[in-house]
Amino acid sequence: MAFISSGYNPDKPMENRISDIGPRHFSEYLPPVIKKNFGKWDYHEILEPGVLCHTAESGDKVYTVRCATARLMSITHLREICDIADKYCGGHLRFTTRNNVEFIVDDKQVALDLKTFLNDQKFEGGSFKFPVGGTGAGVTNIVHTQGWVHCHTPATDASGTVKATMDVVFDDFTDMKLPAPVRISMACCLNMCGAVHCSDIAILGIHRKPPLIDHEYLDNLCEIPLAIAACPTGAIRPSKIELDGETYKTVAIKEERCMFCGNCYTMCPSLPLADTEGDGIALMVGGKISNRITKPAFSKVVVPFIPNEPPRWPTMTKVLKKILDTYAEDANKYERLGDWANRIGWERFFEKCELEFSSHLIDDFRDPAYYTWRQTTQFKW
Amino acid sequence: MAKHKTPLLDQLESGPWPSFVSDIKQEAASRAKNEKGLDYQIAVDCPDDLLGVLELSYSDGETHWKHGGIVGIFGYGGGVIGRYCDQPEMFPGVAHFHTMRVAQPMGMWYNTGFLRNLMDIWDLRGSGLTNMHGATGDIILLGTSTPQLEEIYWEMTHGMDVDLGGSGSNLRTPASCMGMSRCEYACYDTQELCYNLTMEYQDELHRPAFPYKFKFKFDGCPNGCVAAIARSDLGFLGTFKGPIKIDQEVVAAYVGGEIAPNAGAHSGRDWGKFDIQSEVVDNCPSKCLSYEDGKLIMDHKECVRCMHCINTMPQALKIGDERGVSIFCGAKAPILDGPQMGSLLIPFMEVNKDDDYQSIKDLIENIWDWWMEEGKNRERIGETMKRLGFAALANAAGVEADPRHVQEPRHNPYIFWKAEEVEGGWERDIADFRKRHQR
Amino acid sequence: MALEPEAAKKVILDFFEAKSKSKSKFYFNDFTKLFPEEKARAVKKILTMLIQEGTLEFWSSGSTTMYGLSGAGKQAASEGED
Repeated sequence: MAFISSGYNPDKPMENRISDIGPRHFSEYLPPVIKKNFGKWDYHEILEPGVLCHTAESGDKVYTVRCATARLMSITHLREICDIADKYCGGHLRFTTRNNVEFIVDDKQVALDLKTFLNDQKFEGGSFKFPVGGTGAGVTNIVHTQGWVHCHTPATDASGTVKATMDVVFDDFTDMKLPAPVRISMACCLNMCGAVHCSDIAILGIHRKPPLIDHEYLDNLCEIPLAIAACPTGAIRPSKIELDGETYKTVAIKEERCMFCGNCYTMCPSLPLADTEGDGIALMVGGKISNRITKPAFSKVVVPFIPNEPPRWPTMTKVLKKILDTYAEDANKYERLGDWANRIGWERFFEKCELEFSSHLIDDFRDPAYYTWRQTTQFKW
Repeated sequence: MAKHKTPLLDQLESGPWPSFVSDIKQEAASRAKNEKGLDYQIAVDCPDDLLGVLELSYSDGETHWKHGGIVGIFGYGGGVIGRYCDQPEMFPGVAHFHTMRVAQPMGMWYNTGFLRNLMDIWDLRGSGLTNMHGATGDIILLGTSTPQLEEIYWEMTHGMDVDLGGSGSNLRTPASCMGMSRCEYACYDTQELCYNLTMEYQDELHRPAFPYKFKFKFDGCPNGCVAAIARSDLGFLGTFKGPIKIDQEVVAAYVGGEIAPNAGAHSGRDWGKFDIQSEVVDNCPSKCLSYEDGKLIMDHKECVRCMHCINTMPQALKIGDERGVSIFCGAKAPILDGPQMGSLLIPFMEVNKDDDYQSIKDLIENIWDWWMEEGKNRERIGETMKRLGFAALANAAGVEADPRHVQEPRHNPYIFWKAEEVEGGWERDIADFRKRHQR
Repeated sequence: MALEPEAAKKVILDFFEAKSKSKSKFYFNDFTKLFPEEKARAVKKILTMLIQEGTLEFWSSGSTTMYGLSGAGKQAASEGED
């Protein structure tokens, strides 16, 4: 491999440097009919799962075909998406906030033909490349984090748990038979760079063992004050240890204070916390973001721990499917998962979903905990 | 032949959902073939090695990545996340495997020319693997070596006129819903406001000087498709003051079954005939609707704009006029003290492009000045608000107290009165007191 | 009062020197404390100058960012990036 210079001169980094230019302006990328009717849309219809029709005040109609991606995608795959957009959509396309791709066309038949075409495209291994769906009262694509693919503090994999989950609930992606939309989200540790705290169902990786301490190397690899400052609960303090007659500067961890967040490992590679038995998944349910009917709400922990079972996490998907099916069966039309659980009562939720309740599910972390305890005679047997 | 055996990952190739394993394998094969004859600037077989290290995690249940402190390119304090593999001898292709965040166009509209140019850079200089998109909204380019970072940035800025996104203690890449480009509910131009503020605050985005991360998100309406109320330190949600516009003839068409309710979102199951009383009127959170003599009547003054009636009958009901934004402050994920929703700071503000959104910018800068002064290191503004009180933020932002700020008034009487609020102030004469009271 | 760049840079570099035994990286807040009379924006301008001269560099945990002397600290060596 010969190094190919872009023109950048490492000796003079500021020479001809362009910076602070931000993103491209979106108006460059709007399809003509979208640009023409910008701000003048009248109404929309979901013609069938994954196919939307938007009608403008001008009478113009645009048809959108929505299909899933795995979020982690190769440039080969993305170029294939571009080929489809060039062929059907004049070179325009859009991504949704939940990792779906939208192809926009101006003819209904073309949209339906495109849906068929997209559903016909398969990877060599057999899975759909572009399954069409993700609209209305169904399960749309999962937003997620990096997991074992690329993160240093995950307690589980993200892409794999998402694939395993969506395989199990695939029918609800391609159909619209639930009482309301169900948003599933996945974050691979409790730092939640995927902010899953307001999802109908959240899959969350959790650690259960405090970090190991690599005493011999710690002072060579880390700045001890930074590791100490990184701990959100103040569980780390400076310390010294004697190993084989040598004294090492290191840290000590108050283990009962550890919340298993991994922030110290970020600052100090000598404090790893990944662990085969310790790590796994918690499930949270009942959050929402929309202001429709009820207020936005946080997700609640309903399963404190499920072991990691790669590659398909069968226990996790079984529990998740049971929750989804019970909700689908029992909830009223328009009722989000959390609104259903609030209506029937959480004690009933655990009963119907056949979930075990344990002390781990009663909040004990600082002030907000109190507001989750019951202060009424109203409860169900 | 695959470089590493991946029997566990191979099991994720079956099933209907798009398989990321199949896709990575496809990229590995494409690079091995190299039909374009590229002189790949990082290891040709890095997708193979990524599968290898992932298979190792699938068998031992532990991650094999280490964090790196590298932040990216010269002069910027964000936009790159440093990653190193902890088994570099086994997987040399991903020994250094940094992520780059690229600023996405608002609403995530693209043309294929832009994407193809970016893919060409990433083909030559990166792993050929991406995320479309990251959780905050950026395009994520997944995995390259340190020497390539500047080269990629140079080609992006010089050849494609696009910049990196944010990471670290800075303004993170702002994100908006698609807004007016294809949604009838958009109460303001989310994309333009998002773009304008992104450009205004490039320095805050690239050169970290905040106590912690800070996110803007822009939702066009209370449906909240980009989660502004839950996921942004300052969330802008479209709203309106005028009455919801009702076309009674079209309401009748919904009642008569001529139009599918909820834009057809429930068509996968037989929910029976549309019942406007139970489905719309009874679900109204402020009970401001009634259906009498074939007419939908709304006491619009009592409406809280939850969007349910509009969402259910989008052809008959339209958002009202006098549109603007409600602004929420302090949302965040649970770390550390628990999750926080954004708290309503500004019930209504006009979104005025003609004065370059000056009132919004004034508000933002007041809030930042306060947080930069008062915020502790690694403290999100939501936590600073909790520590110092909502009133401290409102005061810094120049916002008058309003009953809309609270769900309900306070539960305790521990009001920290200030001397100037009390008649006669706090200066008192003990001698004078003793004239009235013995010791 | 406007900051005089060269004098302000020296204050910052002296601060690094004084702390070099224990820490090589600092939060932005640590520098604003050196100039209590100044607005944060003025201090940031000086830090940006030092970054662009190559004297300082950013260090990030991904979620937070710190300033350090270029090449200083223990982690750079361990990553083979020095």
